[in-house]
Amino acid sequence: MAALSLPAFSATQPAESSVSAGVSNYKEADIPRHDVVGGDNRRYDIDISQFRLLTPIGTRWSVDVGVSRETMSGASPWATVPGLDGEADLIMSGATIEDSRTEVNLSAALYGEDRSAAVTLSRSNEDDYAAEAVSVSGEWTFNGDLTTLSAGVSHSSDVIEPSDAALFGRVAREKRRTRSASVGIAQVLNRNSALYAGFSLTSHKGFLSDPYKLRDVRPSARYERALSVRYRRFFGGTDGAIHLDYRYFDDDWGIGSHTVQSSWYQNVGNRFQIVPNVRYYSQSAAEFFLPVDDFRLSSEISQSSDFRLSAYGAVTVGLKGIVQQPRWALTISVDRYMSREKYGLSSGYEHPARLDFTLASIVVDYRF
Amino acid sequence: MNSIADRRPATSVSSRTAPVVRLLAVMSAIAAALSLGACASVQPWERGTLARPEMQLDPNPLQTGLYEQVYDSKEAASGGAGTAGAGCGCN
Repeated sequence: MAALSLPAFSATQPAESSVSAGVSNYKEADIPRHDVVGGDNRRYDIDISQFRLLTPIGTRWSVDVGVSRETMSGASPWATVPGLDGEADLIMSGATIEDSRTEVNLSAALYGEDRSAAVTLSRSNEDDYAAEAVSVSGEWTFNGDLTTLSAGVSHSSDVIEPSDAALFGRVAREKRRTRSASVGIAQVLNRNSALYAGFSLTSHKGFLSDPYKLRDVRPSARYERALSVRYRRFFGGTDGAIHLDYRYFDDDWGIGSHTVQSSWYQNVGNRFQIVPNVRYYSQSAAEFFLPVDDFRLSSEISQSSDFRLSAYGAVTVGLKGIVQQPRWALTISVDRYMSREKYGLSSGYEHPARLDFTLASIVVDYRF
Repeated sequence: MNSIADRRPATSVSSRTAPVVRLLAVMSAIAAALSLGACASVQPWERGTLARPEMQLDPNPLQTGLYEQVYDSKEAASGGAGTAGAGCGCN
């Protein structure tokens, strides 16, 4: 599930309306030819368009509408097999996959003197995947408006209908559901700094395997927990602010993960900001991860060679430029993501489908 | 020498979890100390800096939504803050 909204430092109604529109390109690096024994080595190239409207209604309500549209093309790993050099090689999907995804979010929030409650409905549609989600969240500000508690629950029902199911012997139609609960506390530390800590529990049940892989058998349930800490501090002397974020994650598939992210917002005059950022991510492998598919195992025994379940680490470096005007803002950003087994904190094997990507976006915000 | 098909991850769950539990304990202690000891009373007229866009938890929700979507679909970890939206069949 995608994160939809973060809690704020206080449960207050937005003072004005805002419209945001953005276009982005996400492009994965090609897999080296020598690691591919069959299929296309070109991975996903995705164009994304986003729109969001947030507006107060009366003195106690606000409505938040979001729409995103993605069009994608590229190949994805189909199987992982032993190569002649003793290392794992990939068989990729033979033909380029063309797909699109549309997601719509509608949220309504009600504000009291020191608290708020929101209900959000989400729907996502692809050719082969549909998801419907509902979430309810609340915030309560107290302690002289210095402390905000937040809590939320969400439920998603997903339906998977793989394309060419009969041709390739894939499942025809499967379901999964995801339930999540989160709590958080935001604390103003002083006039220049604030801290947030949040904790979430998530359960997935149903068909959690990848229907497009030749052999991918995952447990039908997964329980996750995640703890995050976020720190914001402004430095008047340099007219800049630092963001420090950390997240710990683990699940009952044996995966543990650490994520550290930092951004520096440097003001240049009154109208420009330069924001370099760096992110480090590390995860251990799922207990049933295999470097190559083992077709000798019964189809009842869990196994997956998906690179997303392998042990690795990843580094993202990015740069953002922001033009701030009284009524509008323009944000241009580029981020580069590089993953390697040797970057990780856990030992593992260099997966031939390890991911490198570039994400570039332009966003315009207008307030009225 | 084992073939690549016979290899398994070497890390055990218990050995990986122990340092994490210690880390969480240290972080919790730090967070508690910051919350209880380092919090100053901040009057409403002293909150101009905290209201700046760059001091928000999420200064750009549209962009954050996209980044979260990418990371959640390409990495095993997700969650930790806020409520979630609809998932995707991203491969």
